[in-house]
Amino acid sequence: MPDEGRRSRLSRVSVPLSRNEGILLIALVAQIALFSLIAKNFATVGSFFEISRLSVELGLLAVALTPIIITGGIDLSVGAMMGLSAVLFGLAWRDWGLPIPAAAMVSLLAGGIGGGLNAVLVARLGIPPLIVTLGTLSLFRGIAEGITHGATNYTGFPPAFLQLGQGYLWGVIPAQLPVFAVVFAAYAVLLHRSVIGRALYAIGFGAAGARFAGIPVVRRLGLVYLLSGLVSSLAGIIYVAHLGQARSDAGGGYELDAITAVVLGGTSVFGGRGTLGGTLLGLFALAVLRNGLRLAALPSELAGVLTGALLLATIAMDRWRGAGRPLARVHVDEESDVKNSQVAVLCAAVIAGSLIVASTNVWLVRSILPAIPSADGQAAGRVPAGGGRPVIAMMPKAKGDPYFVSCRVGAEEAAKELGAELIWDGPTGLDAARQNEVIENWITRQVDVIAVAVENRAGISTVLRKARERGIKVLTWDADAEPDARDFFVNQATSEGIANTLTDEASRLLGGTGEFAIITGALSAANQNEWIAFIKKRVAEAHPGLTLATIRPSDDDRDRAFSETQTILRVNPGVRLVMAISAPAVPGAAEAVRQAGRKDVHVIGLSLPNINKPYVHAGWVQTVVLWNTGDLGYLTVHAGVQLLRGSLSPGDDEIEAGRLGRLQIRENQIILGPPLKFTTANIDQFDF
Amino acid sequence: MRSIGRREASVLAAIAALALVLAAAAPGFFARDNLGDLFLANVPVLIAALGMTLVILTGHIDISVGSVFAICAVASGLLAKAGVPMPLVALGACAIGGLLGALNGAFVAYLRIPSIVVTLATMVALRDALRWTTGGAWVQELPAGFQWLGTTQSVYPVLVAGLVIILQVAVSWGLRNLAAGRAVYATGSSVDAARLAGVRTSLVTFSVFVAAGAFTGLAAVVNSVRFSQIPSNTGIGLELNVIAAVVVGGTLITGGRGTPAGTLLGVVLLGMIGPALTFMGVSPYWERAIQGGIILTAVAVDAVRPHVMRVRSYA
Amino acid sequence: MPAAAPLLLEATGIAKSFAGVQALKGVSFDLHAGEVHAIVGENGAGKSTLIKILTGAERPDTGSITIAGQPVDHMDPATSRALGIAVVYQQPSLFPHLTIAENIAMALERGAIWRRVDWRRRNSQAAGLLARIGSPLDPERPVDTLSMPEQQIVEIAKAIGAEARVVIMDEPTASLTDREVENLYRVIALLRSHSVGVIYISHRLEEIFAVSDRITVLRDGHTVGTRAVGDVDRGELIRLMVGRELSTVFPKAAVKPGEPALEVRNLSNEAAGLRDVSLMVARGEILGLAGLVGSGRTQLAETVFGLTPADGGEILVGGRPLRATSPRDAIRAGIAYVPEDRRQHGVVLDMSVAANTSLASLGAVSRRGIIDRAAERGKAQEYVDRLRIKTSSVLAEVGTLSGGNQQKVALARWLSTNPSLIILDEPTQGVDVGSKAEIHGLMQMLAERGLGILMISSDLPEILGMSDRIAVMHKGTIRGVLTRAEATQPAIMSLALDPDSHH
Repeated sequence: MPDEGRRSRLSRVSVPLSRNEGILLIALVAQIALFSLIAKNFATVGSFFEISRLSVELGLLAVALTPIIITGGIDLSVGAMMGLSAVLFGLAWRDWGLPIPAAAMVSLLAGGIGGGLNAVLVARLGIPPLIVTLGTLSLFRGIAEGITHGATNYTGFPPAFLQLGQGYLWGVIPAQLPVFAVVFAAYAVLLHRSVIGRALYAIGFGAAGARFAGIPVVRRLGLVYLLSGLVSSLAGIIYVAHLGQARSDAGGGYELDAITAVVLGGTSVFGGRGTLGGTLLGLFALAVLRNGLRLAALPSELAGVLTGALLLATIAMDRWRGAGRPLARVHVDEESDVKNSQVAVLCAAVIAGSLIVASTNVWLVRSILPAIPSADGQAAGRVPAGGGRPVIAMMPKAKGDPYFVSCRVGAEEAAKELGAELIWDGPTGLDAARQNEVIENWITRQVDVIAVAVENRAGISTVLRKARERGIKVLTWDADAEPDARDFFVNQATSEGIANTLTDEASRLLGGTGEFAIITGALSAANQNEWIAFIKKRVAEAHPGLTLATIRPSDDDRDRAFSETQTILRVNPGVRLVMAISAPAVPGAAEAVRQAGRKDVHVIGLSLPNINKPYVHAGWVQTVVLWNTGDLGYLTVHAGVQLLRGSLSPGDDEIEAGRLGRLQIRENQIILGPPLKFTTANIDQFDF
Repeated sequence: MRSIGRREASVLAAIAALALVLAAAAPGFFARDNLGDLFLANVPVLIAALGMTLVILTGHIDISVGSVFAICAVASGLLAKAGVPMPLVALGACAIGGLLGALNGAFVAYLRIPSIVVTLATMVALRDALRWTTGGAWVQELPAGFQWLGTTQSVYPVLVAGLVIILQVAVSWGLRNLAAGRAVYATGSSVDAARLAGVRTSLVTFSVFVAAGAFTGLAAVVNSVRFSQIPSNTGIGLELNVIAAVVVGGTLITGGRGTPAGTLLGVVLLGMIGPALTFMGVSPYWERAIQGGIILTAVAVDAVRPHVMRVRSYA
Repeated sequence: MPAAAPLLLEATGIAKSFAGVQALKGVSFDLHAGEVHAIVGENGAGKSTLIKILTGAERPDTGSITIAGQPVDHMDPATSRALGIAVVYQQPSLFPHLTIAENIAMALERGAIWRRVDWRRRNSQAAGLLARIGSPLDPERPVDTLSMPEQQIVEIAKAIGAEARVVIMDEPTASLTDREVENLYRVIALLRSHSVGVIYISHRLEEIFAVSDRITVLRDGHTVGTRAVGDVDRGELIRLMVGRELSTVFPKAAVKPGEPALEVRNLSNEAAGLRDVSLMVARGEILGLAGLVGSGRTQLAETVFGLTPADGGEILVGGRPLRATSPRDAIRAGIAYVPEDRRQHGVVLDMSVAANTSLASLGAVSRRGIIDRAAERGKAQEYVDRLRIKTSSVLAEVGTLSGGNQQKVALARWLSTNPSLIILDEPTQGVDVGSKAEIHGLMQMLAERGLGILMISSDLPEILGMSDRIAVMHKGTIRGVLTRAEATQPAIMSLALDPDSHH
């Protein structure tokens, strides 16, 4: 066999590189080359280490998943376990008063127990791992939510601990990287050199055959699931150190990213084939893609599209290169109803698709390129006055949220007016970790101003301070970071102001007495939880006649808000007012009230005028409270540019903000003005 | 029809137990209106789950349903706004779903890439592509005839009930009594044997993905018309609900065994748990943990039997 | 008689290569109505490829196929079926989750994909076919509840039901008991009387001589010759197959039995259907374990090996009691087990020869749990040389080797555990004649070195030829033990069949 010679030569020099990994390596090199060309500061040592820091948690999960997938199994619960152990760590440290090492032990113990549960159900009871870990995914995440009541966010960890996630060794190497290296090395020895690893491969090729060879299949399978729980909880602890916070939603969605990395690295989901080296390559490919796109200021949505295309393309190429071993044993027979021509056509389609995406890329880059040289000139002197256009990087909490979409309109207006370049990017869903990633990328890219709508105060402040040290002006908007981490906070309205407005409005509509219910966003959303706290306070102080019957989550999903409202109306028939404090929840609640025909129930909330217009006009929604979101974006960009040009500096008590006129500044908080109340009378005047 | 399987029986028992507890603790749960609301809320899940049942029966999986669902929902809104009559809107959404399903199916059936990899890729790619194009904007100002498919709020549930009964019966009957249905089981039971028996297994695999896509498209329409505007980020996490319902309903994840009736029971059980907990006054913060626990118990109880048999079962 | 009958099938000049390897280099073959035409040849001679081509699973590179006088230029599984060709595979290719009736129907029914399925007809059709071959199986039983021979019965029912004009039987008796084989002969006679042509493939030459009219010998992708059964004897046939003279006698020499290697006393295992089993294997002795399929032979082996732990009785290995609850315990005590299903259990097809050889004795090639790869390869090379395993390298995947060489790798795996007792379950099933003789030679050599061997086999000549003593099982217990002198085929069969006989 010609193949044998190659394989044996390779294994002699101990480079376990399969063809798939070869393809991926080529793709990786191509990516790096492309991004070095189009992305600013991509190919620097600093950038490399920042990328690696951001990938440590994900990397740990991917490493833990590799042997599991090699045995032909899967573990979907890794991300949820990360969240659970983060929360337990916080709980043990803050509420039980344990020292950090003991809290870490508690957390790892939980990881062991959770992993053990998977191990028992999968290995001992023989339930398909997909089902088991789908169940434990809900279970772990649910326990984390239960412990924190969604709201609790453990913060204030000692700086020495935070060093683990935010500090450097020898000035350049992120502190968590050695942890990853140790785990990786241990797994590499376990999987590729040890007796146990050999057993795992044998199990992957066929559990029955392994059993007949005297391999303790149940124990070996159990071990990998147990280890996966432990490593996930280690990732959870590092996550806490990295972001300085422990919340129940930590690691959400990480399981799919981790699986993507493993599969991209050439591990067969049917078991038996794959290497840790491949997984490392897969991780790199994912990280480089994401961070490269951001450094090139391309929309982050491209990352998903390109990841999908890359995943399909690598595997399709591997299949296409023919002689390749079949991925599935099922298809071992040469008999095949797929002709080479068909394969070629499909592959051509994939490649064409990728090319289209790539060329749109290039086109996008071209359209951005004129801005980059000018920004370059700027970066050298970092003198904003005179020449080049300032680059303002502005980040919403979630890109797709209509609320932030409407902010962007105003921001762009101001950017145009002031001749600034606006980069608008951020996570696609609420995700504190990703916010940090984007900022790291912006620092590397050397933008002039960073303006962030902060998802997590404690977690983001460190990186914002770092940005300020590098001479970047930092603003926060919509939600604030630690005061010393930013120059100004563009405050649309205080949490207390919003809570008071909503509560007063509820009291007015109910005539001072009655039951009401709150529909919130995610149970762990920090903003909403702060509002709820102030609402409760206001009720107690000013409106004793009001009773808060229940609080239900909507996960920022209109349909979920709808169903929850339906249930509230039945379970709490006394409720006369529904207060929805997440933008998509207001129309959801209104629709539920409308369909129930409950004219006696009022709906108010915090939302956008456009999506509520039909309900306001039809009388199902009485009042929508919000500030002018377009103005918020407009003001933020104005403040950023003025800060850069020196016409605004800390300590000022006024700002002249274009069409908004003069606005007050208090304690470095720029106040947009009182919240707006949208009712039938004025809602049509607003379009956002 | 054959007697119901073991798993179907245990799911039925779980539903009965839950119903008993509810009858004692919160009889209001069984109010006609509440059941009606629950029905409408779970119909989209059921329709998507019927499609998923076909896919899982052939031994594959489709985790892109949530993304396909969102695309079809937005597409149905755009079609309706473009003045397309509602029946054609529904067909159009099914066609788009079918097309996306065909994309998955082509990769799985003809390029032989594992379905979990293909649909993982399309899930991520389609979701981000939709975000990119819509920029998160909702589809608004839908024509008057959009909500309730041009009927009224009281007629629509009847219409949907009819539709669901037809679908459920048609899929059940077809899987049991049509040669095409048996080909689905045959492919999932043993691809090699099916090919030797002259079944065009690649075509079967391709077709179930197309069907699953089309069902998801229909589910998206049925869900969207309950409202007067369409969010573009809908359907996140739908795949987990749908897959959980199918496997809890007793369909073997490796293919070859399972029934649409089991899937129906799975949807009923999972759809009941959340509201039931609310009715019983359980704190919302613990709901998810309890749901996970119930799913695990349902499958674990079923699995506790001498597992020597399983290890030794031949391929 | 057969020559005068019409020509059903004719294949001429068939050539086929896979990825540059020439599997068939010009094979010609014909079949008349009412004829049983056997194809013999060592593994790798091209039999399976020829069958795949006849059934349309593969397309030939060159050559022509004529069926009932009509040339067929495009052959696929559906066409092949439509032309009346049916196959009974060695490894039943059934749908495990579907019922017997449906499995039969899938093979027989044809028509639009949207046609309705008539369940009542399916069940009665299956019942009728099963009755015709004298099987009492319930047509509504799911196939995954059937044993291997029962599945074979379903395969045969499928072929009969297809009213095929050509029935191809690929090692149909591989897992059948003698009585079932007799039954099969009856079915073949029935088919023949209906002018059906049968292509019969088997490694068991006794069967070939018993059922066939003509014999075609393949070697290295060529047709070596076609003989009428009366014109050829066993010796010549073997010479044609292997291209050299080969002793047809078993290499068994008397060995003086030593201490007991294994003693089993009153062993029972309810789940596996064993009760009150007692036997002894001495060092240096080969104990043949005969009995019908389903009599509990494999179950006994699996109980001793710890796969299905016993619930009563005693197992002593080298005089020391063993409580085996897992194969690991048994291996530590010095027991080795080469299982019946080589591809699923005996070797890991996707792993290299070296990895397969060391899999059960990783401790010997590792230090503190870390594998010493050089030692592993060295050890594997030793076995490759010692057992004459034909492989390009110890790093070649076992799946690329022939059946006989795979079996030798399975043996190597267990020899490297340094066992004192080795259990061989159907050691030469599906193994070509040349490798079979080599394996028998190995067994003799091992016995001479003082290993105790417990050999399970359905091949009576093998049992008679290789055993020092023969234990016969029936319904989960030992019915009797015969010495080499006492043992004859009738003696064994009477014990295996008659529940009341005593030794």
